[in-house]
Amino acid sequence: MATEQPILTPGADAPPRRGLRLQSRRVVELVGLGLLVVAPVVLGDSFAIDRLGRYLLLAAFAMTVDVVWGYGGMFTFGHAAFFGGAAYVVAILTTQQNGVLPLPLWPAVAIGVVAAAALAWAIGAFTFSGRFALRGVEFAVVTLAVSFLLERLMNAGGSVTGGQNGILFDVRLEIGPLDLQRRLPFYMLAAVILVAAYFGLRRFVTARTGLVNLGIREDEDRVALLGYRVPAVKRGVLVLSAALAGFVGSLYYVHEGIVSPAAVGVDASTLVLLWVVLGGRGTLIGPVVGAVLLNMLTASLSGMLLGTWLVVVGVVLVAVILFFPSGLFGFLSGPEGRR
Amino acid sequence: MRLRRMVTMAVALAVALAACGGGAAEETDPISIGIIADLTGPFTTYGTSLDRSARLAINEVNEDGGIDGRQVEVITEDIQTDVAATVDKARQLVESDEVDLVMGPIGSDANDAAAQAVVEDNGALLFYTETYEGGKCLPTYFSFGAVPAQQIRPFIPVLQEEFGPRVLLFGADYVWPRRSFEIAKPIIEENGGEVVGEIYLPLVAEDFTELVSAVRDTQPDYMFSLYPAAFAPALQALDDAGLLEGLGQGNIFVGDPDLPGVIDLAQGMYTTLPYFTAIDTPEATEFLEAFQAEFGEDAIPSGGEGVGAYVAVHLYRQAVEQAGTTEAEAVAEAMVGQTFDGPTGTVEVMPSHHLKQTIHMVRAEGDGYVLVDSFADQDPEEDCEL
Repeated sequence: MATEQPILTPGADAPPRRGLRLQSRRVVELVGLGLLVVAPVVLGDSFAIDRLGRYLLLAAFAMTVDVVWGYGGMFTFGHAAFFGGAAYVVAILTTQQNGVLPLPLWPAVAIGVVAAAALAWAIGAFTFSGRFALRGVEFAVVTLAVSFLLERLMNAGGSVTGGQNGILFDVRLEIGPLDLQRRLPFYMLAAVILVAAYFGLRRFVTARTGLVNLGIREDEDRVALLGYRVPAVKRGVLVLSAALAGFVGSLYYVHEGIVSPAAVGVDASTLVLLWVVLGGRGTLIGPVVGAVLLNMLTASLSGMLLGTWLVVVGVVLVAVILFFPSGLFGFLSGPEGRR
Repeated sequence: MRLRRMVTMAVALAVALAACGGGAAEETDPISIGIIADLTGPFTTYGTSLDRSARLAINEVNEDGGIDGRQVEVITEDIQTDVAATVDKARQLVESDEVDLVMGPIGSDANDAAAQAVVEDNGALLFYTETYEGGKCLPTYFSFGAVPAQQIRPFIPVLQEEFGPRVLLFGADYVWPRRSFEIAKPIIEENGGEVVGEIYLPLVAEDFTELVSAVRDTQPDYMFSLYPAAFAPALQALDDAGLLEGLGQGNIFVGDPDLPGVIDLAQGMYTTLPYFTAIDTPEATEFLEAFQAEFGEDAIPSGGEGVGAYVAVHLYRQAVEQAGTTEAEAVAEAMVGQTFDGPTGTVEVMPSHHLKQTIHMVRAEGDGYVLVDSFADQDPEEDCEL
């Protein structure tokens, strides 16, 4: 295909004026930040805050997908490969008892992040340039295959990956004497990471490379014609996104206490797309809201409506897509500009 | 001065009252059991059976006056055949709902995850009721399903007698089949049998050429299978190659609900599990009637997990009544040595926190299983020191 057609067009409805959009985004950001601060006051040091902390990390993961898909138009169907893949690297490095291993948590996380980035680089090198130069659905198929293969590989990895059962972590989330493994401290860690990732990515998408990335989504050929090295930019964005996804994923699964093949698999890769679509593609904040809302909905409904909860969640999703085709916060999407 | 003293006394009184209130409440408050069951996803059959059997037993206990006079409440959470959901729901039940006991889940992976969340992180009680590979050894963890040694030890001599000494081991590539076959091999040798081949395929394989050529090359007398997720296509592949005819079959996983899917390819196949609907003891008949009265004529309790949950609830009641408390460690201590006569026969909780129990052997004939033999008091052979 010659031009990139976004699968679900963000801002398909007439986008509001830019100034207004900027203002409404500020409002949403402030409300979001406010909720992040209020939540621990209301929930205290409870299981609920622990759960919310987990959703915040998933929200950060959703943002990494949004940068690639929502902003860059690269339809990634395998992002769990980075999210869970890095966690696997951390699990292996911190639990295996041979040679220099086990490593402490943070060096292992660093290696996990590098591994996720390297995987993204390799995918980028293979798909974005050269003879293949895959776009759109073709790229989606490649990422899907990576995620699928990785899940199979983890399943078949014997004692290295723990096979179907996966690996139980020996390490906890701690920085020196500071234990961040559960509840309120964990929530704080997750909230800090989410906010930092949000503002970091916000900066990125409005900066030069980010705008080129956006341009590629709109018209890849024209951007190339302008002299930008499209494959390099796409690869760079994918690597950045994968590294961040790997970092967040490592912490997420250490907190879980276990990583198993589903973590890198197709289901996980698909689920994150739902959060992004629900919240609004190409908005960063939308995927955050989508991830938190959908997970809260699932967690509460699956207990209250045994057996039928999946139907209810499905109906809610369909309703949202029908009435808000560009997601709950789709009105915030559109061409970005320098602030 | 006087005011301060009065305040002090008031506070002391309040504290004392609160303490009394707390104590009194503990004796009459309902006991709560949380069930983590796969009610959606690939394990729906087993998860549903687990939930139903547990609820059936809990209803019986409540109608019989509860546990030490306290009624039992139950909270079921759907863990969706998903490890992440298992961790989430297990923690929720223990940390937020503060249940006294968690029962479930189904998968081995979820079992690992739940044991970590419930037992290791929170020191709470976890009752796992599924047939599994064995080997879990934790202070407040109990297993009520069958483990490999007890299913395999009495089984091998029968299979050899029936089919011959040469066996091909066929399993899915994960911990349950692998550990089971490690346990099976010495037992086969002790009985003078010979393992002619050992083959592991992915959990859900699409291509069974490897299996077909293994059977063709080794010409085993019988195939001993632990291939739970895609057994029918595996047998179909053998049948297409004309190799199923005359090949003996033994397995330790095909319970009643799974049989219809393979019955056409499994005539004469032997299976060992703690429970089948073919068991005709009064306890088993009564159990099945109660189960179907509660959940419908078509409801079939599955091989191990379902009935394990039923037995587990009754054992829990006895242990709590003996311990006089629901405190996890005390209950765990009281659990060991408890016995119960249920639908599976007589069971006893061993010091390894696994059950010594009766294993039943059936053969597939026509459109169902026929009970062939029952082996009482099978030792789990789990060397777990707690």
